[in-house]
This record gives sequence, structure tokens and C-alpha cells, in this order.
Amino acid sequence: MDELTSVFIQESREQLAEMEAGLLVLEQAPDDPGNAELINGIFRAAHTVKGASGVIECHFIESFMHKVENVLDRLRNAEIGVSGELASLLLKCGDHLNTLIGVLEAGFDSPGEADRAIGDALLAELSARYIAPDTNGSKVPVAQQEEVLASGGGIVVTDSWHISVRFGRDVLRGGMDPLSFLRYLASLGEILAIETISDAMPSADTMDPESCYLGFEIRLQTRSSKADIERVFDFVREDCELRILPPNSKLADYLKLIEELPEDDMRLGEILVRCGALTQAELDAGLCEQKGFVPAAPAEHGEIAQSAQQIGEILVDNKVVHREVVDAAVGKQTRVSEKKAVEARLIRVQADKLDQLIDLVGEMVIAGASANLLARRSGRSELVESTSVLSRLVESIRDAALQLRMVQIGETFSRFNRVVRDVSKEIGKEIDLVIEGAETELDKSVVEKIGDPLMHLVRNAIDHGIEPTATRLQNGKDCRGRIGLNAYHDSGSVVIEVSDDGGGLPKEKIRRKALERGLIQPEQVLGDQDIINLIFEPGFSTAEQVTNISGRGVGMDVVRRNIQSLRGSIDVKSEEGSGTSFIIRLPLTLAIIDGFLVGIGHAAYVIPLDMVVECIELDRRGIDRNFLNLRGEVLPFIRLRELFALADAAPPRENVVVVQYAGQKAGIVVDQLMGEFQTVIKPLSSIFSRLHGIGGSTILGTGEVALILDVQALVQRAIRIEEKALASPPASSN
Amino acid sequence: MKTVFLVDDSATILLSISNILAKAGYATEKAANAEDALKKFAAGVKVDLLITDLNMPGKNGIELIREVRKLPAYKFLPILFLTTESQQAKKLEAKAAGASGWIVKPATADELLNTIKLVIR
Repeated sequence: MDELTSVFIQESREQLAEMEAGLLVLEQAPDDPGNAELINGIFRAAHTVKGASGVIECHFIESFMHKVENVLDRLRNAEIGVSGELASLLLKCGDHLNTLIGVLEAGFDSPGEADRAIGDALLAELSARYIAPDTNGSKVPVAQQEEVLASGGGIVVTDSWHISVRFGRDVLRGGMDPLSFLRYLASLGEILAIETISDAMPSADTMDPESCYLGFEIRLQTRSSKADIERVFDFVREDCELRILPPNSKLADYLKLIEELPEDDMRLGEILVRCGALTQAELDAGLCEQKGFVPAAPAEHGEIAQSAQQIGEILVDNKVVHREVVDAAVGKQTRVSEKKAVEARLIRVQADKLDQLIDLVGEMVIAGASANLLARRSGRSELVESTSVLSRLVESIRDAALQLRMVQIGETFSRFNRVVRDVSKEIGKEIDLVIEGAETELDKSVVEKIGDPLMHLVRNAIDHGIEPTATRLQNGKDCRGRIGLNAYHDSGSVVIEVSDDGGGLPKEKIRRKALERGLIQPEQVLGDQDIINLIFEPGFSTAEQVTNISGRGVGMDVVRRNIQSLRGSIDVKSEEGSGTSFIIRLPLTLAIIDGFLVGIGHAAYVIPLDMVVECIELDRRGIDRNFLNLRGEVLPFIRLRELFALADAAPPRENVVVVQYAGQKAGIVVDQLMGEFQTVIKPLSSIFSRLHGIGGSTILGTGEVALILDVQALVQRAIRIEEKALASPPASSN
Repeated sequence: MKTVFLVDDSATILLSISNILAKAGYATEKAANAEDALKKFAAGVKVDLLITDLNMPGKNGIELIREVRKLPAYKFLPILFLTTESQQAKKLEAKAAGASGWIVKPATADELLNTIKLVIR
């Protein structure tokens, strides 16, 4: 796919999301008087997609969006009223647009038979109900055109552009051929008439054959804008006289455009330039005249109206713009709204480039660590000082670079508005989606991968979580169900909660199902939480009737696996009768972490620093099992020397690193504590994927490889071993 | 076939522009600096358009334009120069030196070809 097309696809998806968001609000409150701006926004988005699809010559999208735009235009002009049905229909059109974008993305020239039928049906419905038969939209209606002619003020009688040009004497000497302009003009449209003006031509004996004495009056029919026409004369702009008058039918367009310009604090000239009635050069010339040939200085805020009137007069006198247009613009200006669009200023960057930058920063972190180490070894304090400054900077660069990849989760969340609306409608439940923490940022690669698991959880909540309306009323609950999506930061990780106020997980049913499936034995005694956690076991599904909402053959075990592959974890809390919440914990970033370096034997290992709580010396007295007493708290620990089956004996003094993960603490027994350092996570190849307790590797300043410990797995292992050692009765650690 | 003379000290720019031109059916002459270009002009090279960079080591683009204009054979040769949006003063200086027009860098293939069409048949 060429770059242009991929840019179009991205852009139109964004515009589509904007349209959808607007339509959803519109559907909820069709009668809200404050909807005008909203409708405008929806129209603009559709208009942009249509325009861009024309540029990339994707005609199947262009023609579809053309009709949709027509309806939105009528909606905007209050020719048709807002209704829930119209919003629904337009939402369906949005879906179809998405399909069409998909078709384009897949590299097809046109949509398939089935998709085309859907599109035609939608357009037929739109036309039948919302487009009056006599307005076709693609042409200026006859009545309107006549009116325009009447209001044209008699300056120009024909309906074509009029270009009046007098070339400067030096045009030929500048290597320019006047004929080439004419030829180029012809490529913009059709030259209807051309009149050569040779009045300036002197008699033969005084004529300089190298000078140009000619001028032309040209009638041009074209769809190009005034600025486009003026651009043709760019190179001779300074030394030729140029006037471009628009065709009369354009007048109406300009008047309309002036109305459509986004409410902004603009000066008259700018309004005219923006709508294309005036070019920047004409404005500059007018301003020069206004200031008595002093280059224009920005007008003071207070004198806008006054100076506007003056510049307007000058422009009309110069015959560069029609009076009607100036009047409309002045009208617009006096209605300037306080409101200014807060548009995020964004630069589009290819994700690959960012990844490359992060990789490089990673290498820089490693190289910096190496320089630091050498400096310390050399014992030269100036060197140590300068490398430490350097490493502080590297740290800042690392943070800033990682920040570049951070995106707000809001966009992912707001997709679910649509899902919840559609699905709940389909199964006849009334459900509100409440989104919190939409501004929480996390790594783009995490955001991309979290969509599917979230979708599964939300669909589950709609289908199984929220009870049917009748049941809810019976239980004294609000008839509208509530699903919450919440995101927040918590000690070095991002937490995403999917909660519902439904019936909660039915423990008895889960237990029965687990027995049926042979996941547990009848005599097994399980705590409430243990039973609930059974839903994460492979092959578990309690839905007695598999609906097409959640019965997609993907169980909660897949959700858990997906999240674990992001180095995250998922927990569930549920209370029967009042609801369920799934708590997903994800690392902030996947690339670089602050690590805590520990040594066992001759090898070094890294523990992610944000999980380290404290370090203590291991007091071997009175320890016969793998737990110790930490200020009255039971702390299970794990000996890495044993876990990794290192042959050499433990040194006389050992240390315990107390780590915490998701509220559970455990100790990791190591030989040496070697301090904090930044580390780049290098993924391990797939042959290591079955190794528990190792999360990745990194390269130390010395060039040695150190393994990064998977604290989550180690904590769970420590707790499990300790529980197993206690055998029966089963201990429940929390 | 029309021949375009490209003068630029950047090999990348020479290559990218000549690729675009070749695809559009133009022949190209190339020089990496003003001195080499002037040697070719002195030898009477047959070209229909000169496109030159302004910033070059040795003689700059404006000096090149001025000297080419002095040569009788190239008195009416269309000359375009490559410039960036910000160099308004340079634009005027180059126009005064005898340039026909300019191409704003970075230009797309279409912009480049359209501008060329504006100055040669």
C-alpha cells in the first residue's frame, strides 16, 4: 500500500471515531438545543473523509460518503430534524464506511457484492427518508443560481472566472514565456475566451524586442480555487498586474463558506482569504493601501470593526472581491464567538521510528552503565562526576522517550460505548457504561493488545453479569445496569478495572460446573476466592445457553493468558447479588525498567525495582521452613540458590529482598545486594518460554548477561510451596 | 525530449529529482557545483531548463544564475532554484539575479513536475 493510502486509512478511521462519538451523544439526546456544534462536528468529519477519498481517488468511498454528507448537510441546515432513528441509521452508515475502509486496506478496487448491497440499501433508506427528491446536491440548484446572478451586482455577467493580467517588462528576461502561463491555465480548466491587450506596445523603432508589453483578459471555466489560479502567476506576481474575479455562482459558495468557517477570532481579511474569495497577496496589497503603503501591522483588537470596514471598502474598490462577500464576512466577524476550539496539536510519527528510538535509548542506557562502571573503577572523581551527570541525562532521555510511546487509554475505552449500546440493545437490557480514568496513559503496544481481553470482559459483563431487567427490579436494583471501566496508576503498574453491578459470580454453579468438568474433586475444600478463580481454568464456561454475545469459544483462560503475555495479571472480585469486578494489572512499559541488581554465586540477577519493598539480612537461627518472621508478619521466601540448583555452597551471610506484587509479599534469598541500575529488557527466545521465574534478560555495564526475575511467578511459587508444606488443613494466606 | 540541468551539491537530491524527471520523460544533465555547471554552459550544453540549489560550496546558486544570464545563448533560459519556505529574502535576490521561479523544498513529484510545466512547454 502506498503511503498516501495508509495515511488516508488512518485519517478516515479517526474521523469515523469522531462521527460515531458525536452520533452516540445525538442519539441519547436528540432534542438538546446545544446539538448544533455537535452536528457540525459530525458533518466536518464526514466531509473530510469524502474529500480525502476523492484525493486518493477511492471512488466507492467518495460516492458513499457524498450521500451521507448530503444528509448531514441538511441536518446541519435544520432542513430535517434530529431523531434517534436518523442517528441509528447514520451509525450504520458509519459501520459501512468502516467496512469500505477495510476493503481499501485489503487492497481491493471495489467492495464485494454483499457489501455493495448493504451500502445501496443504506443509501436508499437515507434518500427515501432524508433527501428531498428535488435536491441532488451535486449541482447548484437552478433556483439558487438565478438568485446568485441577480445578487451579483453586475460586475461580471458571465459565470466563469475572469482573469486580467498585464505582464511586467522583464518577464522574458527572467526566462519566463507568457504563453506558458496561458498553457498552464488551460490545464486547470477551459479557457472560454482570451483577449490580447497590446495597447502598451510602443512603435517599432522604440520597442525593445526583449521586453514584454502584453496583457491578457481571460475567461476561464474551472473548478480550481482562486488561490490555485493565483498560484499560476506566482513567479511573476511582483512585476505584473493581476486581478482575478470569481464567477457569480461562486459568490453563493463564498457566502456559505463564510458562515461555515469555524468560529474563531479572525480579522476580515483573514476570513475572506480563508473562504477563498481573496488571496493572501490581494489582501496584503489592500492592507498596504490602507496604511498608506506602509506594510501592514496587525490591527489592535479594539479597532477591528472599524478597520475591517475600511479594508473591505478598499478591497471592493480594487475590484478584487465582491461587495456581498465583504458584507457577509463583516457579519460573520461581529458574531465571533468566544469559544475557541481546543485542538490538540499533534505530529504524526511512524510507530516504527519510535520503536527504533526506544531501542537506541536502550542501547544508550547499557552503554551509559558501562561508562559509569569504568569511571568508578578508575577512581578519578572528575570522571565519576561527569559520567554521573551523563547518566542522569540518559535517565531523563529514557523517561522522555518512553513517554512518547504513552497513549491515553480513553480512546480504547470509548470504543466500548458503541459495543455496550449495540449489544445491550440486541439482548434487550438497559445498560450504562461509566468510564473513569480515560486520561490514564500506558504504553502503546500494551494499549493495542489490551483491546481484545477488555472486549471479552465487557461482553461477558453485558451477557452474564447484568441481570435481565425484571430480575433487577425484583431485587430492588435500578432497572438500568451499570458497567464501569476504570484505569489508574498503582505503584509502578497500571490497573484497569472492568466492573458491573450485576448478580455476581454464582459460586455454587461454578463449583458444580468445575466438578462436572473434572477440574476439582468432590472432597476438595475450597475458599470462596478459590472457587471464583476456577473461571480462569482452561475449558470453563458457565453459560447454560451459549449466546452469540459471549459464546465465542474463548474462555477466561485465554483472557488471562493474553494479559500474562503482557507481563500483567488479572484478578476477580465478586459478591453474589451486587456485582463483579475484574482487576487487570499491567506494567507501565515493556521496554526499560529500573532494576535492582542482586548476586548469587557468580551470576547477577535483576529484580524490577518498583516491586522491591526492603532488604534485610537473613537470620538463619530458628528457621527450619521457608518462611520468616518479618516484624510479626509471616513472610514466605524462596532461595534462588536452590531454585536455580547452583552447586556451590551458600556464603556465611545471605540477604533477603522483600518483594511485593498485587498485595502479596514474599522474600527472595540472595547472596549479594548490588544496588539499583537502569536496565533494558531484552526478550528471551522462545526456548526459554517454559522457564518459570525468569522474565527476560539484560546486559550489564561489564558486558555480562543478567537474567531478570519474574517476581510475580516467584511470589506465587513461594506462597504455593509454603502452603503445600503445610499440607492440610489448607492455609489461606489472605 | 526536453533536457533539465540539475545543479546541487547533494547527491541524494540530484538522484531523487532526476528519478522523478526520468519517469516523467525528461532527460537530465547534472553538476555537483556551480563551477562544473558553468564549465558545461561554456561548452554550450543543450538544455531547456536549469534547476539549481542556492546553497552550494564554492560559487552559490545566485552567482551561478547571474553568470548564466550573462551568456548570450542562455539569456532566456528558464531557471528555477530550490528554496525553503523561510528564505523569502533569498527568493527576491535570486529573482533579481535572473531566475524565473522557484521550487519549495521538499517538493512532491507532482509539485516539481507542475512547476516545470509552468516554465517550459
